[in-house]
Amino acid sequence: MATTRVTAPPGMPFAEVEREFDAPRDLVYRAWTDPGLIVRWLGPRRLQMRIDYWNLDARGGSYRYIHSGEDGVEHAFHGSFHRTTADPYTLLQTFEYEGAPGFVSLDEVRLVEAGGKTIAKLRTVHQTVEARDAMIEAGMSEGMDDGFDKLDELLASELAAAR
Amino acid sequence: MHNQWVINQPTADHLSAIFGALADPTRRAILERLALGEATVGDLGAPFSMSQPAISKHLKVLERAGLVSRRRRGTANISRLEPAALHGANDWLERYRAAWEERFERLDEVLDELQRQP
Repeated sequence: MATTRVTAPPGMPFAEVEREFDAPRDLVYRAWTDPGLIVRWLGPRRLQMRIDYWNLDARGGSYRYIHSGEDGVEHAFHGSFHRTTADPYTLLQTFEYEGAPGFVSLDEVRLVEAGGKTIAKLRTVHQTVEARDAMIEAGMSEGMDDGFDKLDELLASELAAAR
Repeated sequence: MHNQWVINQPTADHLSAIFGALADPTRRAILERLALGEATVGDLGAPFSMSQPAISKHLKVLERAGLVSRRRRGTANISRLEPAALHGANDWLERYRAAWEERFERLDEVLDELQRQP
């Protein structure tokens, strides 16, 4: 069973995620770049994902997609794709949650071949350490909009417990 | 074991340092201010009629508990909140890790299906 490893050094504005997939690199690359496949996995199971636009070619491109739940609440995300010349299996993109405009991260995905399997190495660089901490705090699952609210709630409950 | 966060789980001593630090209303107000973003000693002292040395003293208690870290920017000391210390670094990262793991399990299914196709 493959495990997902997460690294988030204190005081640094980035987080890294690593996971092995039992599939050749070309296939993982396809699943990561084909919008018809992306909608099947890039999000929590309880949310539906649909693509507004997804333009990716040899020079880069842009994307926008929307997650929606049974409650009708929608979360939209957009950004730009960039191409790195060094490695065709590296994806580089900006990422912005429209519920928290102005908080833009730079996401890199490197797909590394490992004996017929593929290791995906993700690195997300945020503008500030606070933005990273808030994103991790939110656990991604509820979107990033309530990251700071959750931090406030956490502080409030810790403070109440200490009184 | 799969979690590479470099701060260890709080020990009993560390927890008592945290709760000691949280026991003071001025220090709680400082934390609430830092939850909004980094600040200098001057920023932190502004809402209170307290001297900078008095604020610095409170900051030292918060730093010893691991709740706040400090770095220099030019001539100013900038303090920031360390939210991980509040509830153990492992818990802090776990939801984030689990969110990715859920996606990756779905990706496993997609990849399985693609590989079964002729």
